[in-house]
Amino acid sequence: MVISTTSSDMIRARLTGKRMSLANTLIAAALLLTLLSSIVILITLLADTLAKAIPVFESRGMSFVTSSLAPQAERAGILQGIMGSLALMGFVVVIAFPLGVAAAVYLEEYAPDTRMTRLVNANIRNLAGVPSIVYGILGLFLFVKVINGTFGFAEQISGRNLVAGGLTLAVLVLPIMIITTAEALRAVPQALREASMGVGATKWETIRHHVLPVAMPAILTGSVLTVARAFGETAPLLLAGAALSQYFATDQGAGFFDLIGNQSYTALPLVIYNFARQPDTEFVQLTAASIVVLLVMLLSVNALAIIARDRFERAS
Amino acid sequence: MAKKYGVAFAALALFVVGCGGGGSGTTGSGAAETSGGSGSISISGSSTVEPISARVAQAFDAANGTATTVEGPGTGDGFAKFCAGETDISDASRSIKDSEAEDCTAAGVEYVELHIATDGITVMTNPSNEAVSCLTFGDLYALTGPESEGFGTWSAADGLAAEVGGTGGFPDADLYVVGPGEESGTYDTYVELVIEALAEERGAETASRADYEASTNDNVIVQGVEQNPTSLAWVGFAFYEENRDKVRAIAIDDGESGCVDPTNDTIASFEYPLSRPLFIYVNTSDLSGQTQDFVDYYLSDEGIAFVSEAGYVQLPAAELEETRAAWEAAKG
Repeated sequence: MVISTTSSDMIRARLTGKRMSLANTLIAAALLLTLLSSIVILITLLADTLAKAIPVFESRGMSFVTSSLAPQAERAGILQGIMGSLALMGFVVVIAFPLGVAAAVYLEEYAPDTRMTRLVNANIRNLAGVPSIVYGILGLFLFVKVINGTFGFAEQISGRNLVAGGLTLAVLVLPIMIITTAEALRAVPQALREASMGVGATKWETIRHHVLPVAMPAILTGSVLTVARAFGETAPLLLAGAALSQYFATDQGAGFFDLIGNQSYTALPLVIYNFARQPDTEFVQLTAASIVVLLVMLLSVNALAIIARDRFERAS
Repeated sequence: MAKKYGVAFAALALFVVGCGGGGSGTTGSGAAETSGGSGSISISGSSTVEPISARVAQAFDAANGTATTVEGPGTGDGFAKFCAGETDISDASRSIKDSEAEDCTAAGVEYVELHIATDGITVMTNPSNEAVSCLTFGDLYALTGPESEGFGTWSAADGLAAEVGGTGGFPDADLYVVGPGEESGTYDTYVELVIEALAEERGAETASRADYEASTNDNVIVQGVEQNPTSLAWVGFAFYEENRDKVRAIAIDDGESGCVDPTNDTIASFEYPLSRPLFIYVNTSDLSGQTQDFVDYYLSDEGIAFVSEAGYVQLPAAELEETRAAWEAAKG
């Protein structure tokens, strides 16, 4: 990239007798300015947050990350938020990833180009743009009230459990998962499919052995970024029953199904929101420190996406 | 080819591993003992009372190995859950409304109201706003009542203040009103104590002015006051106590006892006109042994001491005895 632009600039410079176009320079400067202003805002935010967060890590160290919620600022930690968020991401990966990829494979590879297909496609695009709070209402009704109510899980906190939250987030990101996968599949050259079919492979063999492996780096990158988006969601979880709480404990004797079905849970963004509304001013610092933890986790997810993509690109 | 898929799922599996860790990790986060059994106590309601209940629950869980959840979405939201039978205890910064009580009755939820602490709604302004140090109910009505809508400066409220018996004589400065949102018990109590009587007398709506800056986050209210030199706001006493260096409380005159500043003593004795009781409501129709033990502990000397730790005012001994008697009678 860099080499080609430089050489085209050089050619242009030769042709125009090394004169610079004033308009060109002005536009370039204006564009650079917009870039700089957004970077400055970002850096200001990060610096402000870090400045408030550092004292917490200095005085509490990792105990801030490994202790549970508490109403006292000096004891409060965010372990429950981190664990809740990770568990929710587990639901998203297990449910939305296979469903999303399978739906996209059908839409791109199998579905005939009928009015019906186009309608479904348009709807998925629209669903991806629906505000997340709307999915929260869906989750409240469908997963908290109807499903949990009907099947009688969760007698104790009436359906406001991890399963409801996980399903809500999975449904929330499903359209985005389908769209990114479909884009990845569309980017696979048609010639590859034709060649595979040409040597006698069935449609499924073509998809399984040629299309999906080629598309996988892009699918993975898209999926991990989608999961990262679910990681930061607050509003739908509030409705789906995550605890916005200063303090809650988890039953010691609870088994795995009790934990996901019968216990209170929370997520990191909700912990941050809750810290931000406490009267005790020390919680302001805790808020900043939790934001730093959330950012670090999100950046690791994104780094994971980049590593995964690079591995695949090298492999194929 | 198979190798590629292996890497694909290895990448995503990291999340699932994290999920598994989540399961076991939350188990380890509670108290030390393991006698808890399957029951857990669920508390929701007022965010004002939440800091008290959270501290009581923390100490109770640590001693008994139980698993208590304490939430603070607001008094009204809390009663909605409580009357649907979803919670065992509801924190409240006002008494239950008739409509809410009907919901409870309809759902077969019986309850007992326990007065556990006292709060004083603190009316405050920026420390630099020295012209205002004491306000009467008439003044507050003129500044924040339903008829004050559109008043952009303090002095614009002078005429109305004179009409409703306030002192008036406000400075000619911008008026920026901040307060809790309408779902909050603090809002309800403020309207009930300050605005209701005058509004009914004058045939106005029983509400604050609609054009105030509402926030569910009390820290945002404090920030609003801090950043606007001539602002006016009301919050719970704990938020004022934590921010004494940033905001200044305005004394309140109910027309009988003169100007009274909000302090621990004036609030406990209800001498401060905007004192209000804080309650917990306990569901007695489905009272588990655990919940009973919890409330016993809440009302014990050790439990009730968390009231002051949370920044509120403890009940005088006589009233605390009344609350304990009410509880003994209710659990039968």
